[in-house]
Amino acid sequence: MWRRVIVVFAKEVVDNIRDRRSLLLALVYPLMGPVLLGVMIALVTGMVLAYPRGHVRLWVQGGEFAPELMAFLEDEGATIRTAPDDPEAHVRRGRLKHVVVIPETFRSEFAAQRPATVKLFVNSSRLSGLVAVNQTIDLLEAYSREVGGRRLAERGVDPQVAQPVTIENVSVTRGTHLGDLFLLMVPPFIIFTVFMGGVYLAIDTTSGERERGSLEPLLINPIERTGLMLGKFMAALLFTAVAVIVQLIAFKIIFYFAGGAGSTFDRNLGPGAMLGIFMVALPLMMLAVAVQVIIATVTRSFKEAQTYLGLLPLVPAIPGMALVFAPVQEQTWMMTLPAFSQTLVFGTFMRGEVPGLGPTLVSMSATALVALLLVALAAWLYEREQLIFGG
Amino acid sequence: MIEADGLIKSFQSVRALDGAGFIARDGEVTGLIGPNGAGKTTALRILYTVMRPDAGAARVDGLDTVADRRKVQERVGVLPDSLGLYPRLTGREHIRYYGRLHGLGGNSLERRIDELIELLDMGEFADRRAKGFSKGQTRKVTLARALVHEPPNLMLDEPTNGLDIPSSRAVHKLIRRIRDQGRCVLFCSHIMQEVAAISERIVVIAKGRVVAAGTQGELLAQTGQSDLEEMFLSVTGAPAESW
Repeated sequence: MWRRVIVVFAKEVVDNIRDRRSLLLALVYPLMGPVLLGVMIALVTGMVLAYPRGHVRLWVQGGEFAPELMAFLEDEGATIRTAPDDPEAHVRRGRLKHVVVIPETFRSEFAAQRPATVKLFVNSSRLSGLVAVNQTIDLLEAYSREVGGRRLAERGVDPQVAQPVTIENVSVTRGTHLGDLFLLMVPPFIIFTVFMGGVYLAIDTTSGERERGSLEPLLINPIERTGLMLGKFMAALLFTAVAVIVQLIAFKIIFYFAGGAGSTFDRNLGPGAMLGIFMVALPLMMLAVAVQVIIATVTRSFKEAQTYLGLLPLVPAIPGMALVFAPVQEQTWMMTLPAFSQTLVFGTFMRGEVPGLGPTLVSMSATALVALLLVALAAWLYEREQLIFGG
Repeated sequence: MIEADGLIKSFQSVRALDGAGFIARDGEVTGLIGPNGAGKTTALRILYTVMRPDAGAARVDGLDTVADRRKVQERVGVLPDSLGLYPRLTGREHIRYYGRLHGLGGNSLERRIDELIELLDMGEFADRRAKGFSKGQTRKVTLARALVHEPPNLMLDEPTNGLDIPSSRAVHKLIRRIRDQGRCVLFCSHIMQEVAAISERIVVIAKGRVVAAGTQGELLAQTGQSDLEEMFLSVTGAPAESW
């Protein structure tokens, strides 16, 4: 039987390599995720890098009321610019990221050693301003601490008395937190591709074949219908695997350029992780293609199959998207869930860790088992007489 | 030899075949004729293995089409009801695909493909992709792929449907040629002239049963009619002037 299965497989591969739509799904669609993520990484890292400490540009109104503060800020490396009139409007319209306004009362209050107010106009709906705003707040607080410490010292009090708690930030991840967020977006993209890569081929070789009227003559050839189905299944699986490989390589390239060589992005998606992700994804690819073949078999037309299968990739990818923002504690039972377990394992790889062998094997074998059952169901559906009519 | 024996087949509440039985012998062309919806296509579909009868049996060279499906498939060449091609494969690739599915390969397969291209006069389009083929060109490709394994039995569902006169004649010539090689040809049609022109034996089917069978002379003698169309109308029970 296998010789004829290979004949079917080879024909479907050649046929679909000549089809622009099949190639688009296998070679171009997988690039969307990496490109999107690359743009996001470039934008965010650009925001952080554009404002290194010591190069803060500060728009100030009323600087003449606080000459000592201005001197302090310039000592700290900030460039002081005089803000235009109506700073609030400028910030609201996004012309200026933020403006420090020193009211006239500052001088008298400062001299009287009462809390002197400094206003900071910010536009919190603009992400790009956040980093600079934080730096400005840090600078102003540093000045406040310094002056406060000096005043205490003048009264013979140790300034440390006024600082009962010191906060030290210790990050437990290997990279930056923002980077982690992007890395965790990789798994849902891969899951999406697993369910998308071979979908066109799966429809074309079953519903499409039926709609073209080429299925009935094909069924008269001396090959078991299960063999026929397997040849088509393997061709769709190949296209899916190619799509996943294309996507992994695209992620690698994008991470290298957007994150930089040796960055968390570049390091965590090393050759080992890529191979690991591909291997763990394999049983899920089988499952995805089996589902596609089943849907293409029971639907009556190409269009009907397309409607169902177009939505299919979103469903298994959604949990992964949720996990980016609300991570869960891994449990062994979760490893039995197809798509979800792979999302977790991919996530472990992307955090730069190596997933445990046990959970990984549970994920692979549980998904493979479901995939085999679905392949058996597809084979049964192919045996039915209704195959030539659909439904 | 192709045999249908008391075939019964229903689709939901419709009984498409109601005990149809007939024999198509080697070295003869047997024409299956009947009104639309008489069960011709269903009978052929059972004979060429894509459907199973509810009751009765279908045999090809003595092999049961259900129990010995694979062996039957090796011994039949079929031009089925649906004749789709793969738009992105060339004519030659279509024939090669079916040849390989029949376990053929290598130089002998390529020689066989060349012979068929020559026989069916396909040289001009054999290496073009099937997208945009005319009906005649499509029919030739489907005939060639049905003949690639030199099957001893041939089943053709409306082989000249939609073809122009020269193409129809070419198909008739091919059918006679295959018969002259001693092979069995069973074809169905709803055109009496076509059936009369190329068949040795005629099987008339109506409402899922065989209502008359025999040579042209036998059929005319049995019914006492002077021409085949009158014979057809009298055995199928259709009113002579229904409109």
